[in-house]
Amino acid sequence: MGIFTKEKETAPCEVEVSHKFESLHAHVKFLNGAVIGPGDEVLVHGEPVMAPYGEIVTEERTATITRASAVERLWTRMTGDLEFMELCEFSFSEEVRL
Amino acid sequence: MNIQNPHAADTTNMQAKHTADATTVEEGLAIAEAQDKQYNDEMATETAMQNTLLTPRFYTTDFDEMDAIDVSPVREDWDKLIAQMLADPNKGHFKKNEDWDHIDWDGMDPDLKKEFIDFLISSCTAEFSGCVLYKEMKRRGNNKDITQLFQLMARDEARHAGFINDALREAGLRVNLGFLTQAKKYTYFRPKFIYYATYLSEKIGYARYITIYRHLEAHPEHRFHPIFKWFKEWCNDEFSHGEAFALLMKTDPKLTSGINVWWIKFFLTAVYATMYVRDHQRPAFHEALGVDPDWYAHEVFTKTSELSKQIFPITLDIDHPRWQPTLEKLHRANVKIAEAKEQGGIAGRLKQLSGSISAGTAFMSLFTIPTKKHEVPENPRLVPCY
Repeated sequence: MGIFTKEKETAPCEVEVSHKFESLHAHVKFLNGAVIGPGDEVLVHGEPVMAPYGEIVTEERTATITRASAVERLWTRMTGDLEFMELCEFSFSEEVRL
Repeated sequence: MNIQNPHAADTTNMQAKHTADATTVEEGLAIAEAQDKQYNDEMATETAMQNTLLTPRFYTTDFDEMDAIDVSPVREDWDKLIAQMLADPNKGHFKKNEDWDHIDWDGMDPDLKKEFIDFLISSCTAEFSGCVLYKEMKRRGNNKDITQLFQLMARDEARHAGFINDALREAGLRVNLGFLTQAKKYTYFRPKFIYYATYLSEKIGYARYITIYRHLEAHPEHRFHPIFKWFKEWCNDEFSHGEAFALLMKTDPKLTSGINVWWIKFFLTAVYATMYVRDHQRPAFHEALGVDPDWYAHEVFTKTSELSKQIFPITLDIDHPRWQPTLEKLHRANVKIAEAKEQGGIAGRLKQLSGSISAGTAFMSLFTIPTKKHEVPENPRLVPCY
């Protein structure tokens, strides 16, 4: 990991999108055991994985992981906590007027 | 999350007269023009809605620290709670049945419709983000107790999201899950921040839903959508999730003592204040429910404070003379900032700055109200009682 430079790597991944009544979810699993760290960016290649209503779609894709630089990783670790309100749900969006 | 609504116009036009039914060219053109206008209106609403959408966020945390959690000190209660979640009493509950009344979306007051759809989309996004977060923890963790808990919570969140999605579809809104192919940056939270934030979020969620549910039980004429009938079971899931986080925090006394008590106060103040401000930005929703947002806020704060005594050594003094007027001040400052942003220019900038100073001062004023201290019980476990 560079102090200021970012490195890129590719990883095979499995994307699962469920658009079912019982479960609405979407997940990415890296098949080569790649681990994501603070500040890293992940891009899954190809067209958006779309599941029609009532179906689960699983596709194998390739993803590019852009590793955060050491500085960025440290920064994300230090400041990430400040975004904690993202973890809370308030029933409404923050827009003052719709 | 990106939500698209390509078919909204189709559903609304179902009721309108079709051009194929026109008897003259002029009539046909008039119908087509009316349909066009309706379509454009729908699109305009939709564009406005899209701006309000949240993209699910992606987080990492210190997974080694989470793996090191030892639930032995609370083992008995832990096993009971997990067994209850495994038994899955709410399985099959979140589906439409004969209680799901028909909703006349076209006849709904436009302001109410906008605010209600904002409610559905925000709730769906929140459940969805919760599911992503919990699933990630399940996948990255190696501690069986912890991964099992997160797996069960991810199940509930995905189920709730699916249920809300169904209500959104009925309103002609389509959820697009294609966001995974956009670049996503992972931010970082220390585990204790996740505990405080999600614990509070789950408990305040319970208090919010049960308060509305009980209110509508007494005033069914205000129940403008059937989804409120499902709030009781929904919030019981939130309650269990909160219990799990309370037990997690109980395993390490440091989390609720010393400097961390200040973090807890900060979280409580930030969460209560944000809830107050956001609810007051949705007057049509609360009016339709027949709920005074000030009464509602106080009711929810009272319940949440009572519940959080199970684990937090302090509660906020919500009856302090400075509390309510300062919340109102914060709300006004927030409106001022939004108006200033819309206004733009130098005058707008200045107004925005003064609004931000007012908001900051108001928050500090709330944060410096002395807290109420109390003994935390040896055993934190609670059951839903409201």
